[in-house]
Amino acid sequence: MPVYKFYYFPVRSLGEVVRQIFKLAEVDFEDVRIEDKNWPEFKDQTPFGQMPVLEVDGKPIPQSFAIARYIASQHGLAGKTPFEAAWVDAMADQWRDFRFEFRNYWYIFMGYWEGDAEAAKAKHAFSARDKFYPLIVNQLKENGSGFLVGDSATWIDLLISDQAVTINKELPGFLDAYPEVIAHAAKVRAIPQIAKWIETRPETR
Amino acid sequence: SIMPSYKLTYFDGRARAEVARQILYLADIPFEDVRISLHDWPSLKSTTPFGQMPLLEVDGQSLPQSFAIFRYLAKQFGFSGDSPFESAWVDALADQHADYFREILPVLLTIWGFTQGDRMALVKEVATPARDKYFPLLEKIAKDNGLNGHFVGDSLTWVDLLIAEHVGSINQHLPGFLSAYPSVIKTVNKITSTPRLKEWIEKRKETTF
Repeated sequence: MPVYKFYYFPVRSLGEVVRQIFKLAEVDFEDVRIEDKNWPEFKDQTPFGQMPVLEVDGKPIPQSFAIARYIASQHGLAGKTPFEAAWVDAMADQWRDFRFEFRNYWYIFMGYWEGDAEAAKAKHAFSARDKFYPLIVNQLKENGSGFLVGDSATWIDLLISDQAVTINKELPGFLDAYPEVIAHAAKVRAIPQIAKWIETRPETR
Repeated sequence: SIMPSYKLTYFDGRARAEVARQILYLADIPFEDVRISLHDWPSLKSTTPFGQMPLLEVDGQSLPQSFAIFRYLAKQFGFSGDSPFESAWVDALADQHADYFREILPVLLTIWGFTQGDRMALVKEVATPARDKYFPLLEKIAKDNGLNGHFVGDSLTWVDLLIAEHVGSINQHLPGFLSAYPSVIKTVNKITSTPRLKEWIEKRKETTF
């Protein structure tokens, strides 16, 4: 087994899906968390000047979804057929489109960006949510297994569930119109390896 | 075994579908190249999984999202790198490119005539900073890869096609915009002179986008 070192900020955000893939696959990895104050020094050593980065026997891979797909594919967590894998990818990219719009509110709300949170919420948050989450609900209904693709958990289940719980926790009631999303998140988080990780992982907002 | 049927549906342009067309043509796979007018799209929208195009249908089964489509086809036909690690790097560079593309898209939409805007101001205030953030990285990547005519590894991958298509679009409307990145231009020129790709580019319909 290669030696895996995963570098990210001490948050869940875009990196948590990778940590959860490792946990679900029961593959060891070093969970390196770089504090903001230490980041400038480390930045130039990364391929794209960004995190997360995964080192595989010392060789880096940047970009969260490239990393996620790389590890998930090797451990049966990326769909059982090429077409299923493609649907996992499609939903991940759809989530990324959602996040690109939603962050216009979310980043102000979380304090990363300056701005008028209420105005941003009215302009971006609801339309982003209501464009994206119906697709998730529909996919859950059509797929019928309780998971988003196929009949077992894939990395898209990990991504969507963690993000939904984070949003719902910070914005209580925001996902009330999407109970299926909340139920899906609960199901994923009940998977023993994930439940254990959630219990033991560092607490971050 | 019998080859599946492929149908690709998109607007009448290159933009987010062209790489899929190129992969299929390079692999010599027949496909239905369906182009939807802006006028006809609204009534078709709700029949698609995500209300968006491009859409790939493989034996009638739908797959949305351009990169999912490109990666799926690239894997089937040998354009996704020579190892899992290389494939991950193809994915990583494509996602980095997508981050840049999201920033420059408002400028392109104005240039292509889909939105109103002050073209010169947008080029100066939006496109230029976006370029200056991303293209130095791409220039370094081309050089670090040995100026071998590819951005990752030493065989043609879908991220080569993605970047080459974008550079072509930029050159079509903003000539000289990328002149500070000779290694990128050199790499793109090598990509587009791949014989079968050159053939496709020469005979394809000319479109604004």
